[in-house]
Amino acid sequence: MARAVRSTSSRFDLIALGTCALLALIARGLPPNLRDPVATSMRRTFLAPLVMLQERAEASRRSLLLDQQRTAITDSVALRAMTVSSLEDENAKLRRLIGLGGRLKWGFIPAEAIHGRGVRDVTTMTLTAGSAAGVRRLSPVVAPEGVVGMVTDVDPTMSQAMIWTHPDFRVSAMSEDGAAFGIVQAHLASATTGYLMELRGIPFRTALKPGTLILSSGLGGVWPRGIPIGRVLEEVKTSEGWARTYLLRPAVSPADVGAVMILRADRISQGFDNVWTNVAAVDSAARAIAAAGDSLAKTAALAEAAARRAAIEAVSRDTSHATSGIPGGLPPELLPDTSLQEAAPLSDSAIEARRRAAARKARRDSLARDSAERDTLVMSPTRGIIR
Amino acid sequence: MTLGGTLRATTTFVILVLLHYTLRPLLGWRAPMDFLVLALLLVSIRLRPATAALVGLAIGLVSDSLTPDSLGAGAVAMTIVGYVASWLKAVFFADNLALNAFFFFLGKWVFDVIYFVVEGRLGGIELVQQLLLWSPLSAAATAVAGILLLFIMRPLLEPARA
Repeated sequence: MARAVRSTSSRFDLIALGTCALLALIARGLPPNLRDPVATSMRRTFLAPLVMLQERAEASRRSLLLDQQRTAITDSVALRAMTVSSLEDENAKLRRLIGLGGRLKWGFIPAEAIHGRGVRDVTTMTLTAGSAAGVRRLSPVVAPEGVVGMVTDVDPTMSQAMIWTHPDFRVSAMSEDGAAFGIVQAHLASATTGYLMELRGIPFRTALKPGTLILSSGLGGVWPRGIPIGRVLEEVKTSEGWARTYLLRPAVSPADVGAVMILRADRISQGFDNVWTNVAAVDSAARAIAAAGDSLAKTAALAEAAARRAAIEAVSRDTSHATSGIPGGLPPELLPDTSLQEAAPLSDSAIEARRRAAARKARRDSLARDSAERDTLVMSPTRGIIR
Repeated sequence: MTLGGTLRATTTFVILVLLHYTLRPLLGWRAPMDFLVLALLLVSIRLRPATAALVGLAIGLVSDSLTPDSLGAGAVAMTIVGYVASWLKAVFFADNLALNAFFFFLGKWVFDVIYFVVEGRLGGIELVQQLLLWSPLSAAATAVAGILLLFIMRPLLEPARA
């Protein structure tokens, strides 16, 4: 009996399975034009809440991914922005170096400076050019800003240079106008003020103002004339009564030295009078041109404003003449406000503009009269010439 | 099955269906876990095979309605999986986690095999790759999720003791 019941039950299960599978296969075999409406109706009715849930979940995931991408982009932009300033500095340095190369034209060896130790105690550096490139001992090392140092040891591919901060470094110097000569060396007592220079041996009768440019004098045979060394900061009080000592701000900071140029001996003999001085001249000329441009623009703007004011006054006068013919005139709120212009004294340019406008008007009137007379002569041929 | 058992099974079923339409798209895995198969398996072991087949057909049609091109394929697969799960419940649903995990894994894998074969969209290498790589991975994820859910929802799934 139990077996019979189990057999009937399993037969019923099999029939149910077959029916369900058949229905599913029928659904699978439906043509697209029937399948789509069935699926759509299910999605729009009892499945709508589930579809909405899935849409929101997918939207959340998309926004999460977008946020991650946005964060990554923001991070990369911030990272690049951090390097932009250093890249700009490097670009500016390289541009200056290229400009110096263009002015030197020949007789120099470009090299990269490799700093061996910390920034605060830089006195020597390694250069990536050696005797194979033409570098010789005691060759001057310069940067676009001015004096850097001098080659002390030379290898075939590398060389060592003494920077001006070295205690043994000396260069003969002079003021820009050539009035004072002295010797420049490192200011060794400047542990807290950074790298500074001293200009020693200036005659006591010669006083240098702060900001005076100090150049190499060309005396001594190592350094050519005319390379900027630094600018005068202040006088240093010393016990020497026969000479003055000045503190200089160096033209080249040792920490900023990257790309340099090593001058060859044959180039030194030709002189550098117009190489570094041109830079300052060009800078000041550019500043002067900019200032002049600003001044011209200001003058033009003032003249234009005066002419506009004169025109407004003329219009307001015409308006008042015209309104005088209207009985009662225009109401006060429609009249132009000329009280300020009448009260304010006229400027020279405004008076000039008025005078020009009056002259133009008189010229126009006379031309019109001439033209009217010619027309009269032409239009009356049968009546003879009548004046 | 008692009324309380029916209510608990229904609640579990609803939770799993909701998870299928929320957690699954939120995770967006390449080999996703299938909460509908889990729901079908957990319900089928409490039903007789004919009813399990009917529930499988209904769940299959519901899941297929979101992919009209494969309408019916999921229904066929769910019907067979539901029937077989109900038929084999005595074998697999012992109080053993490893057996339960294998049951979930096998259920999802068999579902995938039937689904992709009936759907007929994939063929050749793609079908082999799907059935031997992505489907087992998805089945493994489903099995892990099923075991976790068994732990979490044990109070719901176990009958109340006097």
